Formats: sequence, structure tokens, C-alpha cells
Amino acid sequence: MSAQPVMPSRLPAAEMTVGPFFPPRYSDAGANDLTRLEGEGARGEPIDIEGRVVQLDGAPTHNLIVEIWQADAAGIYAHPNDPRHLEADPNFFGWGRAATDADGRYAFRTIRPGQTRERDGTVRAPHINVLVLFSGLMRQLHTVVYFPDDGGAKDFDPLYRAVPGPRRAGVVAVAEAPGRYRFDIRLRGEGETPFFSLDDGGVR
Amino acid sequence: MAKARPGGAGGADGLGRTVITVGRFDEPSQSTPVVEGYRQTALRTPAEPLIKRPFTLSELTGPDRPERRLALLGTDLAGHGAQRALGQLIDVRLRVLDEDGAPLPGALVEMWQANAAGRYIHPNDDDHAPVDPHFYGAARMTTDATGCLSIRTIKPGAYPVPGSGRWWRPPHIHFSLWGRVWMSRLVTQMFFPGEPLNGQDRILHAVPDADARERLICRPRSPVDGPEDTLVFDHDIVVRGRRATPAA
Repeated sequence: MSAQPVMPSRLPAAEMTVGPFFPPRYSDAGANDLTRLEGEGARGEPIDIEGRVVQLDGAPTHNLIVEIWQADAAGIYAHPNDPRHLEADPNFFGWGRAATDADGRYAFRTIRPGQTRERDGTVRAPHINVLVLFSGLMRQLHTVVYFPDDGGAKDFDPLYRAVPGPRRAGVVAVAEAPGRYRFDIRLRGEGETPFFSLDDGGVR
Repeated sequence: MAKARPGGAGGADGLGRTVITVGRFDEPSQSTPVVEGYRQTALRTPAEPLIKRPFTLSELTGPDRPERRLALLGTDLAGHGAQRALGQLIDVRLRVLDEDGAPLPGALVEMWQANAAGRYIHPNDDDHAPVDPHFYGAARMTTDATGCLSIRTIKPGAYPVPGSGRWWRPPHIHFSLWGRVWMSRLVTQMFFPGEPLNGQDRILHAVPDADARERLICRPRSPVDGPEDTLVFDHDIVVRGRRATPAA
């Protein structure tokens, strides 16, 4: 379609004007801290999840948006589709947003999620749903964070089991210290993070 | 999991509880993930196929009123009098719909755009064009009871994508929306009708289906249908399904 691309003079920032995300100035002070809502503390164990997001060449991604959605400490989603939603922690919102810095790093402070329970009784391992938005991604990307210290619960989790064995480590956070986890994301290439389809893959 | 109406936006399980479902993800209406001439797509799009998974509560729930975490911002971006932004005044009348065409009341919508000279207020934008001190170019708002909202702004300018071999982005506005569940979160762009640069835009034409591409372009009202100094455009965004607005 076009001639060889000419490298821009001000990498990496200028090239991203294809579609920067929502301007950070207005955003989102505190949107990466899920442990309190309107001043009230959420129930459960506070945990920190931090990581670095890189692209194919290993270069960090700057101003990439990471959003998370998770159940509360008891494994309940504050949404009418969860049959237990009336018991959800009113001080836990379950959603947060962070932007990566120039080194590709993001951080969340949240609550360790409990095991979620489906309508048919299936139990899912504690996990955090992750959405990635960035210029150069024509579609949003979805992945999931599991915990290394969940007592083996993820071995019975339908989404975890959907990930091909050799790639499963890519959806498990690394314990750095008690209550502190690292979850790095590689968008493409060697060690690529497993990402999930936006469609319903059907029965478990 | 109890099944609700297939493809429907809601139903009830055997106990009469509300169940919100989503239909199939409509691949033909979506953009090509790796776009020729848009270099970053080949650095950032996963090479491995996306993993098929069952839908569980995690996918079929979502945040309730995200504006409790994100401050709402006014819907008048253009300002008035001495504070008025430079450029052509426009009103964007947006309607947000689910896959059945039902309006989504109270949906959170973020928008952001370049100023009339094609410049974003964003650390990732360089100095190719001037900043307008009266234009910030971002808003965050919720739809009304009919799924609608109205944004008073200025028409964004076109701009060249640095290092892209003379690819110019046509005037466009970015939108980020929350549907009822996590699987209907959508980030997309709105284009303007009749723009000469539309025909070459690598993002608009990443959507191979002509009908789906049309869904990214707003519709002009007659100039007599609106304030004297303002052109009005209507735009529908469908967050998921066969008539979904493509992500962009």
C-alpha cells in the first residue's frame, strides 16, 4: 500500500497520534485503587498487582490502558447477572483503570477476589479479568490473571483449562511478596500473553 | 448456566431473575487486526489465535455506573464568547443501542478528539499543529433514559500520521463505551460523511464490509434543523452483535 515507512523523528510518542487514548489529565486519579469506594473501605485482603506491558520488539508501551473487572472478596459480582449480587460488598466496585508509564508499567491496588460461582454451581478460581486498549490494537484484548497461591483451584477453572498447557503460565501472576503480585503482559511475540476471544466458545 | 433468550439482551432464568445475555460476536463486521501501512498493528496485535472460552459470570457481568470511579465532564466542549474554541461548531447527537436495537439508558460514554487544527491535547501528540487554549477535546457523560446524548463541540481537523508515508487521518471522534456487560465494552471512532480523506483512511478501511464501514460514519441533518450557528450530526453506536459498530 505505502512505501517503506519513514521512522518518525520523535519516537515513540509522535507515532501514536493515530489514536491516543482518553487524555490523562482529566482522568483517573485513584481509578487504579479498588480498595475503597466513596471513602469506604472494601472487605477482604488488599493486594497489589503491578506489571509491565511490552510489544513485539520488547519495547515498553506508553499510555496503554489496562482495565480490570473482578468479583469481591466473597467471589460476588456487583451485577444483576450474579445470582448472589444482593450480597455483594457495597464498598467494592470491582472495576478499575490504569495507564502505563513511559517504561510500560501499570499498577493496581485491589482486593483478593474470592471464588466465583456460576448459576449451574460451577466454581471458578479466583481471577481478575483484564482488558487492554491501545493505539495499534484495532480491537480490545482480553486476558485473565490467576493467582499462583490459590491452592490448585485454577486447575479446575474452565477458562484456565481452555489455555493450551505450555501457555498457562502466561495467565498466572508471580508472587513478589505477601499480597504483592507481578503480571507482565507481552502483546505479541515470544512468550506472548494468552488472549481470549470475544465470542462464547460454548460449553465447558 | 441458565440460558436466557438467545441473542437477546435480557430474559429471566427459571427463578424469574433477570439474565442479561449477549449474542455472537460478529466477525464480518469487525476490522482486520493487522492493517497494512499502520505499523503499530503488527507490533501489538497478538500473533497467536485468540483462545476460545466459555462465557461465565466474568464475561456476562460488568461495572455498574463506572462514573462512580471516573468523574463526568461536561458535554459542551466548544465554549462560549471569549472562551469559544476555534473551528466549526457541531452538535453530535449520539444514540447508544444494544444488539437488539434497544437503547441503553445511563450508559457511560467517553469521547476525545483533535482540535480544529488536528492537534490532540495529549502527551503522545507532538507539535505538528497549534493547541487551542479554549479547547481540551475530551468529555465523559452518560446517556439519558432514551440512550441518547448530545455533545456540542467543534469539527476536528485532519492530521498526518507521522512516519506513515503520508497517511492523513480524516476528521474523526473517538468513543469509549460501556454496555451492560464486560463483553459489550467498545472503543470505536466516528467519521464524517463526504470527507475526501475517508477513502484512504487505513483505519476506516480496515473494516472490510462496506455496510459495517457505513456504521462508522455519522449522518448530517439539514442545516435548518439545529441552532443557527451549528451543524447537527446523528450517530448510532451499537455495542455488540450483527449490527455492531466496528471497534476502531
